[in-house]
Amino acid sequence: MNHSAQVVLITDADTPVGRAMIRRFSAGGAHLVLNSASGGAEAAADIAAARASGSIVIVASLDLSVGANANQLVETAERELGGLDVLVHNNDLLAPASVETCSEALFQEVMHANAKSAFLCAQAAGKAMASRQSGCIVFVSSIHAEKPTGSSFVYSASKGAVKMLAKEAALELGRHGIRVNTIEAGPVEGDDERFHSRLTTLYHSYETKVPSGQLGSAEDIAHAAGFLASAEARYLNGADLRLDGGFLLHYMDHKMKRPKGGDSP
Amino acid sequence: MSMAGKVALVTGAGTGIGQGIALEFARRGASVAVHYNRSEAGALETKRRIDEAGGDCFIVQADVARQDEIIAMVREVEQRGGGIDILVNNAAVQLNYDLFKHDEETFSRMMNTNVKGYWQCIQAVVPAMKQKGAGRIILISSVHAKRPTDFDPVYAMTKGAIRMLGRESAIELAPYGITVNMIEPGAVDVGKYERILADDPDAQKKLEERRKRQLAKFPMGRVGVPLDVARLAAFIASDESEYLTGSAIRLDGGSMLL
Repeated sequence: MNHSAQVVLITDADTPVGRAMIRRFSAGGAHLVLNSASGGAEAAADIAAARASGSIVIVASLDLSVGANANQLVETAERELGGLDVLVHNNDLLAPASVETCSEALFQEVMHANAKSAFLCAQAAGKAMASRQSGCIVFVSSIHAEKPTGSSFVYSASKGAVKMLAKEAALELGRHGIRVNTIEAGPVEGDDERFHSRLTTLYHSYETKVPSGQLGSAEDIAHAAGFLASAEARYLNGADLRLDGGFLLHYMDHKMKRPKGGDSP
Repeated sequence: MSMAGKVALVTGAGTGIGQGIALEFARRGASVAVHYNRSEAGALETKRRIDEAGGDCFIVQADVARQDEIIAMVREVEQRGGGIDILVNNAAVQLNYDLFKHDEETFSRMMNTNVKGYWQCIQAVVPAMKQKGAGRIILISSVHAKRPTDFDPVYAMTKGAIRMLGRESAIELAPYGITVNMIEPGAVDVGKYERILADDPDAQKKLEERRKRQLAKFPMGRVGVPLDVARLAAFIASDESEYLTGSAIRLDGGSMLL
């Protein structure tokens, strides 16, 4: 899809999803502002490839749970690249946390990383985009904005907060021609370890619970973001795109039964 | 349904919905810990009305944005009441600021009270409930846990977070006989408009006009009142709701359906 000359801000660009976003948007011709905890080091190959293909890439390393930093990042995009078109908020801090034993410090760390930064980025980007009456915000969220994890209540609470932020922003910023949506990403490789729970068996043999038997990938999430940021998605606003291959459709926690005797159902 | 012999802690019981829940729980025989932070006059009014009706209650004060104050409050209620059977998390901040009017301070204030406070109250009451093998935790949320407000994005964020806090708490605490449920009220009339109109000569006419507007917007011809929420909370707190956990019950007279 064409993102020619679009200016795209990607947060948490070091993660597998962040790096897939770099590849996806630079392939479409976008210029990028990245926020990267490693200062770009962990995404070095993807950044180099993006630059080689003609994208301007600016790398920052800011704590986006501080308002001044979120403003500074958006101002950089405005000043250096002529205006922010797309914000991809990709923060996804996960840490085990039980309701009974979680510390206040851990609660705040996860809430700040995922929810407060989402709020501050939406404010900063929303203001810049509203001045041009155009723009698009994509929050990379999780199926755990709906489904409990059984391992980190503060993670899912932070995603629940982002879900409502997106809907509020879709209403308020929608008046200014800005669209705001979330991607509720489902299981990808490694999620059985990330979401390991002693309370639920959701991630036991989890690939067998996706109807197709195939897990998703960071690329799938980047493609969805690319679509949401494109003109073809111009009427999508305030939506939560469940991107889980059907993982959450089971009435209860069931493994898929494979069709017997060949491939036909 | 009698609540005799039960001890309930109701946060934010000096005003509105919390006051309604405290009054109804006491009327049904519960011993109620009436919590307030700044609404001391309101808490005294709640106590006065409970005392007058022959009910049993005592007042506790705490800023639920602070963990140390929550812990001290819960210990006090456990000692004075002889345990806590029911926790009603209700105390919350709403500012009616739009996306651009909010700042880091208002964001943190709301998150700390509405979400962190709800969680830390749960954390504080759970050990004793676990020991007893029974407990009822009720989170007063809002229809804005699912539907945006268009007047306070951070308020909706806090309610969206509470929705997941409730679900996670429900599965974590179910093995100990503790249930966690949420009530999502729509508009609730806490008498604010009447107070605004107190000295208005046209008060009767204005109230009548408002009632007509409500007829169109609310299938049942009226907005909710605190007693509606209190009755549902009493059911959730009762033995009859034993199998109900992790549920969010919308209580809006059908208004969200229009």
